[in-house]
Formats: sequence, structure tokens, C-alpha cells
Amino acid sequence: MEKRFTFNHLAASGLGLAACALFAGNIPSARADENLFGFVRGAETLPKGHFDFYQTLTLRTSKDAGVYRGWDSDTELEYGFTDKFQASIALDNRYIYNRGVEDLPDANHFTFGGVESAMKYRLLSPFKDPVGLALRLEGGWLLHDEVGGLLEHEMYVAPEVILQKNFFDDTLVTELNYGVEWAWGKDPAEQYYKEFSMQGGAGVTYRFAPNWFLGVEGHVRSEWPLFNFGNFEHVVVYAGPALHYARERWWVTLSYNYQVYGHGVDESARSQTFAEETRHEIRFKVGFNF
Amino acid sequence: MSDWKTFVLPAALVLSTSAPCFANVYLTTDQAQKLIFPGASCTPWEGKLTEAQKKAIEKTSDLRIRKDPQIWHVSGGGWFIVDEVLGKHEYITFAVGLTAGGAVKQIEIIEYRESYGSEVRGDQWRAQFVGKTAKDPLRLDQDIKNISGATLSSRHVTEGVRRACAFYDIVLK
Repeated sequence: MEKRFTFNHLAASGLGLAACALFAGNIPSARADENLFGFVRGAETLPKGHFDFYQTLTLRTSKDAGVYRGWDSDTELEYGFTDKFQASIALDNRYIYNRGVEDLPDANHFTFGGVESAMKYRLLSPFKDPVGLALRLEGGWLLHDEVGGLLEHEMYVAPEVILQKNFFDDTLVTELNYGVEWAWGKDPAEQYYKEFSMQGGAGVTYRFAPNWFLGVEGHVRSEWPLFNFGNFEHVVVYAGPALHYARERWWVTLSYNYQVYGHGVDESARSQTFAEETRHEIRFKVGFNF
Repeated sequence: MSDWKTFVLPAALVLSTSAPCFANVYLTTDQAQKLIFPGASCTPWEGKLTEAQKKAIEKTSDLRIRKDPQIWHVSGGGWFIVDEVLGKHEYITFAVGLTAGGAVKQIEIIEYRESYGSEVRGDQWRAQFVGKTAKDPLRLDQDIKNISGATLSSRHVTEGVRRACAFYDIVLK
């Protein structure tokens, strides 16, 4: 029997975790690899011997018909093996509420998304070198897809290049990501067994007051089922503001991204695409440093 | 609508319950003076930085002056300067003691508000600055070694000392 899970439970969990860490005031901590953006990554890495704990909540909502809310909860632990190399492991959970969306069965359920792991190696420091450069490799095993929470047995690998350039005494931070992904086992949640995608992101943010950063970010994703470039599926571009606040032992980031452009081969609307995407993506991250 | 409120609630509560700043105040200004110039007395410098001097310091040190430093003249010769540089999110307050000839006698970290990178307080790292003047590069990986994993703090403190030396060279000499 499938477990019922409402968003109130999800929010309460996040709040509880935040409260626990807030009052863990005597824990020594690190501050590297804070996420200044919701979707775009920076080139910094955790110092050797330090942990980061992240809780990310993402709301994907609004399609062209019906009511759709997809909640993703990523709980992640990251460790700095050296000052330049870090690795992480994350558990994904999803809550899908869906009524009357075309080609998607109605749903109101909580599902276990899967397990993801990533490693990042910093080649150049954004604080010392002309530009920060890091290579990241992510892989995962996903049991339910993020669109409908439907059963799948997906495995994927996703290498990524991360660039970061800081200006004005590191008060203005720009970040650029570009990566690709190979995924297998996407059926039966999706029509095709395997898929290739390209994804990128860019953001610029400014420290407008001590502890606070405000910026804009955007991310793009395009997909080709069956690893076939002649079999284009869709492309989507999101953009919006990102607000970041950090204290000595924790930080939070809130980001809102709107689908500014989308195009899917199976859809008539050419300015937005909704088969696998939504109009809004809102992400809240909280990180604690140990 | 209620979903939106619920979503924002964790963020709002986290921010509104912001814990008090865990700033680490290692020294008072007075303690830093006594450490760098034991037995000496310090008199506040009453001078005023002109716009031209400010621009010259910024140009020489390659670092913006966000706030005028506090400066004292030390009995028997020398200067005691308390200044701030940006940490990752807050300011790092530090003190530089200069000899009468403008060479760095000692530096001390007074307040460090970042929880990581406090290795810049280490004796060995700070000792690298002793004897440096405005004529030295005072740059990371040139004449000052970086602290791996604390690069931002290392760089900004180094830049701060470079600015203090430039201040002496342009204004106090």
C-alpha cells in the first residue's frame, strides 16, 4: 500500500531539520560550496575533512491544463576528501499531485525517487586563479520519475563543467555550468528506454549587504530519446531570481524560475512545453556545515 | 495558495529566527596593541584622508577602501592600524603594526566572523608578513603562501595588509 504523504509533512521535516541545526551552535563548521543559486553550481569545493548537509525542496507547478504540483525533496550529505575534491550522496523523494493533466494519470502520492551520488574536483580556484574551474560527475539510480512519480528503473551518469568568475572583491559572483546526461531504464514511466540530454545554467549574483546575495539565474535542458540526435524531444529554458542568505553555520537559498521558452515535438504551443516540464520551478535549499 | 504559504514558511522561519552572530572576537583593539607594541603607548591619528590619497591607495593596493581604517601613532615610532576586509559574507577585522620605516612588525586577527578559514590566525602564516613594505608584492602565491581550503580569507587578509602598507607609503610616511 502506498504511503500517503502531504506537503505539510515535507515542510515540517525541512523546518525541523533547520531548527535542529540552528540550535547546534557549538558545532565547528565550514562555509565552502554554499549554493548561491537554486539551480546553478559554483566551482568551490568543501575543505578537507568537512561535511555539508543539504535539504532541497523543489516545487514544479502549472502545466497547460489541469492542476499539477510536483515536489522533490533531496537530502544530501557531502564530504571534502581533499581541499579540491568532494563527494556526496543524496536521497530523493517525490510528492506528486496531479489532476486533469493531459497524458498523465491523476495522482496524489508520495514516492521514493532514488539515490544519487556526485563528485566534484576543483582544478582552479575562483578566489585565486583568473577563473574558477571544476569538473563534476553525477550518477544515480531512480525508482520513480519526477513527472508523474511513475515506476522506472533509471540509471544515469552526468558529467559537467563548472566555471566561476568573481568580481569586486568577490562581491559579484558569476557561474556557468554545462553538462550532458546519459540515462537508461526510463521506461515504463516514459515512452523510450534511454535518453540523452544536454543541460546548462548561468547565474550572476551580488552581495548587496553582509550575508545576503541577490541575483538571477537561468537553466536550459534539451533531450534526445534513444541517444539519437535525429529524435529531438524538447528544449526548455527557465530563468528567474535567486536570493541567498548565510550565517556562520548554515545558509539558505530561495530561487524562482519561470519557463521563458520551451519547445516540444509533440506539442502545438511553441513558446512553452509541458509534457515533462512546468511553468514554474521554485527551489528552497538549506545547508548546514560541519 | 495555501501551498505557497506552506512552501515559504520554512524559509521565513529560518530567517526570522536567525541565531545571534557567532562572531569570534579573538582580541580587543587594546589587546592587539599590547601584543604588537608591548609597553608602548598609542595616540589616535587625527589626520583625514583626502579623496586623492584614497584613490592613490586604492590604485597602489589594488583594493577598494570601503571604510577608513583606525590609525594610532605609537610612542617610540611606528603605527598601529586596525582595518577590515571582506570575508565570504562578513568582515574580517585585523590589526597591522608598522615600524617607523613602514615595515610590517606583526599582524593580528582581531575578529573573524567566518567559521572556516580561521587558519589565517596561525602564527606561521602571519609570520610571512613580517618585514614586508609597500615595495613588496604582498600577493598570494608570490611572496605570501596560500592556505589551501581558506583561499578567500588568505587573499583578502593579504590584500588588507597591502592596503595598510600603501596607506603608510602615501599618507603616513
